[in-house]
Amino acid sequence: MARYDVAILGTGPAGLEAAITLKIRNKSILLLGEKGSSEKVAKAHTILNYLGLPSVAGEDMQAAFLGHVKEMGVEITEDRITLVYPMGDYFALQGKNNEIYEASTVILACGVSAGKPYPGENEYLGRGVSYCATCDAALYRGKTVAVIGSSPKEEVEADFLTEYAAKVYYFPLYKAEPKVKEAVEVIREIPREIVGQMKVKSLVTDQKEYPVDGIFILRESISPANLLPGLEMDDPHVKTDRQMKTNVPGCFACGDITGRPYQYIKSAGEGNVAALSAAAYLDEKRRQA
Amino acid sequence: MSVVTITESNFEKEVLQSDKPVLLDFWATWCGPCKMLSPVVDQIAEENSAIKVGKVNVDDEQELAGRFNIMSIPTLLVFKNGQMVNQSVGVIPKERILQLVEG
Repeated sequence: MARYDVAILGTGPAGLEAAITLKIRNKSILLLGEKGSSEKVAKAHTILNYLGLPSVAGEDMQAAFLGHVKEMGVEITEDRITLVYPMGDYFALQGKNNEIYEASTVILACGVSAGKPYPGENEYLGRGVSYCATCDAALYRGKTVAVIGSSPKEEVEADFLTEYAAKVYYFPLYKAEPKVKEAVEVIREIPREIVGQMKVKSLVTDQKEYPVDGIFILRESISPANLLPGLEMDDPHVKTDRQMKTNVPGCFACGDITGRPYQYIKSAGEGNVAALSAAAYLDEKRRQA
Repeated sequence: MSVVTITESNFEKEVLQSDKPVLLDFWATWCGPCKMLSPVVDQIAEENSAIKVGKVNVDDEQELAGRFNIMSIPTLLVFKNGQMVNQSVGVIPKERILQLVEG
């Protein structure tokens, strides 16, 4: 398997700036995220304080970013990483569909997730609560499960679960009408709480209580502490120093994930620092080898 | 020490009657995170002669997986003197696994 020098998670200003800086430093990079950069950038109204781009609309800024990246020959691999695991002298990264990538260093630039965990979510994680249908579906043969989907992308996961579970409830957290298999029961209620005793017993909504054996919570972004086990947090942000180093050797973070202010120019600046720190870390390791 | 494949038939002898602490890794071939954890568990087996390390394939051993309420993999269980004393779900760093066994 190809082992990259640096894996960058996220294609907002922090991730893209890190990518072009590392490209200039001649490092091999794996840039993972949405091909169209960050949705947050595209949706922004007018940005007034980005140096060199006066009074720019979010859409135009995104186009400028992506044009720059393309010109530098940086490619975006469209995938969402569900787990980063330190293997000693490298990191293994697991993609949404169980692809495994390897990189010597990792830069976390995946933004900050607004979602708070449901009451009971952390308590019953691994005891009925799961973030990965592909991983755990087979453990729910003949059982009843609930799937909480944050976007239509998660509908295939609910469909997949019907191959194992006897009953699948789907709770969409969005307005569009879900296109799921007939076996999936779509419920338009708002999940409120996960109730259990030793393990999950039910999902409570704003209207009813559903007895279930498992609850699959599928969100756009996973909390960094669940993404990289052992990562030191200053909730909801990742703790870094001025070099953008985290407590995990070889892992750096930049952008909104490291804390306020949530500004594009701050994110890009941090992306630059994280990239240079990762490059220095790689060079130091090579000297030692 | 090499890793022992644990099944319904050798569980009693290899795990419950072991005179060393036992670290059990519940896994499956289709589980991505299990593939990440597996080489680390192998390392622990090689480096620590005082720990017995076993692996349980949850597809082959559904009875064992059910008995210990395995609902997410990888799951690690620690046994001492025939009793389950610790458990952890998901991929965790090597030091945390060792703490789990010592703790």
